[in-house]
Amino acid sequence: MTRVQIMGIRSDLQKVVNKLHHLGTLQIDDINNIPDISAQELSLSADTQKAQEDSKYLITQIRGLIESLGCIPSKENLSSNEEVSLEEIRKNVNQLIPQIHELNLHKRELEGEFEILPRYGATLKKLLPIVPSTANKPGNTTVGVLIDVSHIKTLDAISKRILEITKGKAEFVSDSIDETFQAMLVVCPRGFLSEIETFLGEKDVSQLQFPNELSNLTPGKAMEAIEQRLDTIPNELKMLGRSFEGLANKWCEPLNRWLLELEESLDETEILSRFGETEHTFIVYGWVPTRDFEALKRGLEEEIGERVFVTALKTTPETQKLAPIALDNPKVSHPFESLVRLRAVPRYDDIDPTNLMALFLPLFFGMILGDVGYGLVLLLISLFLSKRMKPGFLKDISKVLFLGSIWSVIFGFLYGEAFGPLGEQIGLRPIWMDRANPENMIGLLLSSIGVGAIHVTIGLIVGVWQAVTHKSRNHLLERGGMLIGVMGLFMLVGTLVNFLPNSLTTPSIAVIVVGIALLGASFGIAGIFLGPIEFIGVIGNILSYLRIAAIGLASVYLAKVAYDMAGMLGSLIVGALIVILINALNLVMGTFSSTIHGLRLHYVEFFRKFYQGGGRPYEPFHNHPPPGK
Amino acid sequence: METALLGLAAGLAVGIAAIATSIAQARIGTAGVGALAEKPELLGSIIILVAIPETMVILGFAIAAMILMGGG
Repeated sequence: MTRVQIMGIRSDLQKVVNKLHHLGTLQIDDINNIPDISAQELSLSADTQKAQEDSKYLITQIRGLIESLGCIPSKENLSSNEEVSLEEIRKNVNQLIPQIHELNLHKRELEGEFEILPRYGATLKKLLPIVPSTANKPGNTTVGVLIDVSHIKTLDAISKRILEITKGKAEFVSDSIDETFQAMLVVCPRGFLSEIETFLGEKDVSQLQFPNELSNLTPGKAMEAIEQRLDTIPNELKMLGRSFEGLANKWCEPLNRWLLELEESLDETEILSRFGETEHTFIVYGWVPTRDFEALKRGLEEEIGERVFVTALKTTPETQKLAPIALDNPKVSHPFESLVRLRAVPRYDDIDPTNLMALFLPLFFGMILGDVGYGLVLLLISLFLSKRMKPGFLKDISKVLFLGSIWSVIFGFLYGEAFGPLGEQIGLRPIWMDRANPENMIGLLLSSIGVGAIHVTIGLIVGVWQAVTHKSRNHLLERGGMLIGVMGLFMLVGTLVNFLPNSLTTPSIAVIVVGIALLGASFGIAGIFLGPIEFIGVIGNILSYLRIAAIGLASVYLAKVAYDMAGMLGSLIVGALIVILINALNLVMGTFSSTIHGLRLHYVEFFRKFYQGGGRPYEPFHNHPPPGK
Repeated sequence: METALLGLAAGLAVGIAAIATSIAQARIGTAGVGALAEKPELLGSIIILVAIPETMVILGFAIAAMILMGGG
C-alpha cells in the first residue's frame, strides 16, 4: 500500500471527488485522525447539508418502494444520460407512495379476510345443522358465544341469565368447535341484543364476532356469503398482483437508477467530512495499492490538470502498520479470503494464511466426507450455486465446497466408497483402505494424527519464520520451543514403533525437554508451570485432528444404517425411499460438519501457531457497484 | 462378558465426553448468539469458542477406540 496526499484548490474539489469515486482505488483517511496537520475539517455549507438529509430520506423511501414492488436490481447498465433533479425524483416518489400504500392496504385486508373467513365458516358449518329455524325469522337475531372447554359449566349460567333478560324468548344451541373451544349460538328477538351484549361484556365472555357484513345475516345466509367471498378473494388478489406488476414494470427501472444516483451523490458528500481545508485549498490523505498509484495520479492530473498535487508519502514502519489490508492471492485462493477474514483481517506484517488454507481445507473436507457419490452430487450442487449466486460470502463458500467435493471424490476412490457401502456393491474397491472395516481403524486414526502433525508443524514453522522476520524474541522462544519439542516427540514415537533405532530414545527425550524449556522461557518465571502445560496443549492440538477420522466414520456408519434398514423393510419402494432420505441427510450433515470441523482445525489448531490478525480491511471509495465487478 | 464390559466402557468414554461437550457448547452457543446480535463481526471468534469443547468428545472417541482395539 502507498500512502497518498492529494492537494488542490477548492474550486476543483467536486471534480476531484467525482474522479476519486470513479477510479475507486483510494481509501480515504479521516483528516481528524492525522496528527500534525494544520488544515481543519472541511465544513459543509447549509445547502449541502440539507441536500444530504433530503437524499437520505429519499433513499429510504425508494428502498421501501423497491421492496414493496419486489423490484430485482437490474443487471444492465443503470447509468442514464438524463440528469434527473432531486426535486423531480421527490415529485415522482411522492406520487407513487400513496398508490403503493393503497394497494398494500387492500392486499393486507384481502389476505386477512382469506385467513379469517374459513374459521368463521368452520364454526358455522358445525352449528348450522342444529340452529333452530327461528333464527331465519325476521326480527330475530343470533349471538355467538365462545367458551374455553375448561369453563364449559359457565354456559348453563349464561343461558339462564339470557333467558331472564329475554323473558324466556331465547333459544340455544351449542357444540364444540375444536379441542379448546365450545361455541353457543343464542337466537332471540333483536330488541334484546344490546342488553345481552352488555351482559356478556360485563362477564368478560368472548363473543363470536362475525365481520360487519355478515353480522346482520341469518346463519344460513352468512354461510353462503362466506363461501361466495372465499371464491372471489383469490381473483381479487390476482388482480391486485397485476396492478403491482404494472407499477413494477413502469417504475422498477427508474427507481433502481435513482437509488444508485442518490447513493453515489450521498457517498460523495459524506466523504467530504474526511477532507481537510484551508482558506483556498483542500487536502486529503489516504491509501492506494502501490500498483494503482500511477493510474490514480495520471487520472487526477488528466481530469484537473496541474492544479492538483498527488504525492506518494514515505512511510515509517509505524505508519505502515496503519495501512489498510487488501488480500492479493491467486484466483483459486480468492474464495478462501472470506474465510480468513471471518477469523480476522491479517495485520500488515502478518503472513496471509489464505493460500495455506486453500491447500488444506478442501483436503480435510475430502478426507472427512470421502465418498465418490456424495462428492459428485456436491460437485454439481456447488457448481450450480457458484454460477448462480451473486458475488459474496455464500458464493465463496460454494466455490470452497466445489474444491472440497473434488477431494471428496478422490478420497472416495481411496476409501472405495460411493453413497456409503453401495460402491462396494457396484464393484468399487478401496485403493487405500476400507474405512468401514474395524481392522483399519487404527490405521485411519494414525493417518489423521499424521496429517495433524504435518499441519501443526507447518503452522509452527511459519510462526518461527514470522518471529524471526519480526525480530520477536518471545515469539521465537515460544514457537521455536514448541517446534523443537514436537520434533523430539516425533523422534520418540519413531523409536517406540521401531521406525528409528532405540538408541535415539534418550536424545529424543532430551530434545523434548529442551523444547519445553525454551517454550517455558517465553513466559518468564511462570514458564516452569506454563511450559509443560503449553506443550501438552500442542499435543492436544495434534490429537484434535482425530476428528477427521471420527466424523468420517460417523458418516460411513450412517450410510451403512440406511442400507441395513432398507434391507429389513422388505419393500423395494419403501426401502429405496429410506436409502435416498438417509443418504440425503448424510450428505447434508457430512457437508456441514466437514466444513465446520475443517474450519475449526484451521482457526484453532493451525492459525494460533502464527496468525495474529487485527488489521483493518481495505475499503476504497468507489462507485456502486465497484468498477470491474 | 468381558466384551460387553469393554463395549460399555467405550460407550461411556464417548457418551460422558459428549454430554460434557454439549453442556459447554450450549452455554457458549447461547452467549455467542447473544453477542452476535450486538456484533455480527464476531462470528469467526464465536465459531472458535463454540468449537473448542469438541476436543473433549474427540479425545473421548480416541479413548473408546483404544479400549475397543486393545480389548479386541
